[in-house]
Amino acid sequence: MSRFGDWLNERFPARELMREHMTEYYAPKNFNIFYYTGSLLLLMIALQLVSGFLLMAHYVPTSADAFNSVQGIMYDTKWGWLIRYMHVDGVSLIFILLYLHIGRGLLYGSYRKPRELLWIIGYLTYIMMMGEAFFGYVLPFGNLSYWAGQVITSIIHAVPFVGPGLTTLARGGPGVGTATLERFLALHAVLWFLIIAALIVMHILALHQVGSNNPDGIEIKKTKGADGHPLDGIPFHPYYTVKDIFGVGVWLTVFAAIIFYAPTMHGVFLERTTFFRANPMVSLPDVTPPWYLAPYYAMLRAIPNKYLGIGLMALAITLPFLLPWLDRNPVRSSRYRPVYRVMIIIMAITFFTLAWVGEQPPLPKYFIVERMGAVLYIGFYLLLPIISSIEPTRKVPERVRS
Amino acid sequence: MTKKALVSAAAGIAAWLATGCAFAAPQFSFSKPSVIAGAKLFAEHCSACHSVGSLRYNRLVELGMTEAQIKKDIMTPDGANYLQGMTPTMNMAEAKQWFGIAPPNLSHIVRAQGKTWVYTYLTSFYWDPQRPSGWNNHLFPNVAMPDILSPWGGTYAKDGTLMQPGLESQAVYHKQVAEIVDFLRYASDPSIFKRRADGPYVLGVLILLSLFAYLLKKEYWKDVHKNDKTGK
Amino acid sequence: MAETIENSNEAPNPGRRRFLTAATSVVGAAIAGATVVAMVESMEPTAAEEAAASTTVNLAPIEPGMQVTVPWQKKPAIIVNRTPAMLATLAEAEQKKLLKDPDCSVPQQPPYCRNRYRARKPEWLVMVRICTHLCCIPHYRPKPASVAPWWLGGFYCPCHGSMYDLSGRVIKGSPAPHNMAVPEYDFSADGKVVTITDMYAKAHLC
Repeated sequence: MSRFGDWLNERFPARELMREHMTEYYAPKNFNIFYYTGSLLLLMIALQLVSGFLLMAHYVPTSADAFNSVQGIMYDTKWGWLIRYMHVDGVSLIFILLYLHIGRGLLYGSYRKPRELLWIIGYLTYIMMMGEAFFGYVLPFGNLSYWAGQVITSIIHAVPFVGPGLTTLARGGPGVGTATLERFLALHAVLWFLIIAALIVMHILALHQVGSNNPDGIEIKKTKGADGHPLDGIPFHPYYTVKDIFGVGVWLTVFAAIIFYAPTMHGVFLERTTFFRANPMVSLPDVTPPWYLAPYYAMLRAIPNKYLGIGLMALAITLPFLLPWLDRNPVRSSRYRPVYRVMIIIMAITFFTLAWVGEQPPLPKYFIVERMGAVLYIGFYLLLPIISSIEPTRKVPERVRS
Repeated sequence: MTKKALVSAAAGIAAWLATGCAFAAPQFSFSKPSVIAGAKLFAEHCSACHSVGSLRYNRLVELGMTEAQIKKDIMTPDGANYLQGMTPTMNMAEAKQWFGIAPPNLSHIVRAQGKTWVYTYLTSFYWDPQRPSGWNNHLFPNVAMPDILSPWGGTYAKDGTLMQPGLESQAVYHKQVAEIVDFLRYASDPSIFKRRADGPYVLGVLILLSLFAYLLKKEYWKDVHKNDKTGK
Repeated sequence: MAETIENSNEAPNPGRRRFLTAATSVVGAAIAGATVVAMVESMEPTAAEEAAASTTVNLAPIEPGMQVTVPWQKKPAIIVNRTPAMLATLAEAEQKKLLKDPDCSVPQQPPYCRNRYRARKPEWLVMVRICTHLCCIPHYRPKPASVAPWWLGGFYCPCHGSMYDLSGRVIKGSPAPHNMAVPEYDFSADGKVVTITDMYAKAHLC
């Protein structure tokens, strides 16, 4: 072991990497349930790579055969149903984890100095994942795929000056067809995925540069012991590796329960309209995006003007990038900021209400909900600089609470 | 005009709800025997016009049928191939001329519309002399398909009055319609029996992993909690 | 201070740690292994490929003396309706000791075809027409003396001159080592159609 280890480590920094990122990466000891989401996201993305590779081994990216090839996976390929349900349900589970992961960042002020870049890289990864999910659900070429492809590529049309050109470039022709499927497959499986993978690596490197935040929002590096390690820190390995393995076990149990007993999650994870073949002559009864994109879609509909609606949606997606500079309170964690905590709870309720209303047909009775949601969502970011400068705070302890 | 039509449709549905609907609550007993029964009824009544293109005949072996039974009871069309998807007897181009549209492939109909919709559709036909086929449907107005099950289930007028009783009792007839829907549900999601059979084992092993990992975590974190007490 | 916390609940237990690490690893490895097996199995031929793997041919249009070639598993399978005169040449070839393997001792055919006719029914030859030398496709030459003055009828490979009789048995002096391969096949109950199902596993094509 040791002789081979020495031979290896002279040529490859295995021990050094292990030390730097595992055994001597000191993480705060007061992580709570929210802190499982990071390792679970890594696991789920690795599973998407595996299941996606196997799907692609059977998929045909043409408008005539795409739907049949996906049904071939479901009916004729051994374990094909398992692979496709893993890939489809995996997307929804990844977005659940992403929203918990982002929500944790909001709750404990993990976007604050010195973690601004960590937040920006992470949020960029989330935006890229929305694109990845969009390319992915066009590929099976059910009727939902077709109309989602049409609608989203039409949104690009509204970009000033270059919009029409971009739309043609995205579709590869006057409409969504074989050329679109071919380039979406290439984007989905190669370029977009590689960018996401690179962003994740950068996210982890940036995290290990600045160190993990924690529910108390205290910098553990301030209080160091005689050995030079933070007193409130514990080595990531073995303590958080064993904890994360437990998290993986529970999470995979939930994942398997969904795949084996509710693979479409009653039409939420796998929509009913995906079971009709793509038909350019028959629009869907109502075109709604998957649940994880629905909040933005609801805001798009909140303004009855094409360009303003798209502008509002773009603003809603990009505003969180500014969060590190919008929050001006010296205290990080919402544990010691009662007003900020209420704002985050309202924000979370708003976001999921928008997701729900985005799934509803575009009826006038929902407009008021969409508009109130949009106002509260944007209002959170606009009011934050003012409220965070004047809000009352509780005393922050010196050491983390166990 | 439309308002009037809506009112009369509503009145029709109300009348139909008042009469036939007491029987119409679907009695699904989704199981391998009910799917086999449904497949036989489907082959007898539906597969003249409708394909189930994604489902191969030889797949039905997993329900417990033998190759000989499948060939005798299910593969009624002459040109059918045991290894291929379920095909209709009828020429689709001719069917399009007769009905205005080609009868759809029903492989995914239950996933797309839901089992209750399909059941309600099949039990909501009424006699309407103004339609070219003589049939109309409360759930699917101006439907192209005639009520081919009426000799068994009976013929109803729009207001729900029985015009011509069927050969089967209402209870038997509704059970058979439910079996056809059970078969279509299986056809749109044939992994269901495999999932139900394997699910408990998969979950069991994952729960075992979680249990061991939990005890392992507990064991290692004794170090951390020890330090908590010493105040380190 | 250290003594005060040393009770059975708090002390690290190396044996227990080792056992739980091993148990977690074994269960984890079993899950990963089962997943990998399923993933590899998903790459096996699909039901669609399997349905396309067998070919069913109607025998009615094949006249006596005629050869029909059907594409089967990306290979040319042939069905020949042999006349009594053609069948008589098979015994003649054996008597003249023209053949390398007249008794079909090399398993180039399923056991039920190990006979002079290399067939389930003498008149119907079902065979993969690929030369066992270097994978060329021999020509069908049923007429006597059409290849050489002594030719009784058979298959002649244009690439390197391998010769076979009308049962696909290789003739001495050919570069080809074996008789041509016969796949697994069966007739319908009424004998009107033949279904070629699988390649005979022990046979090699070339």
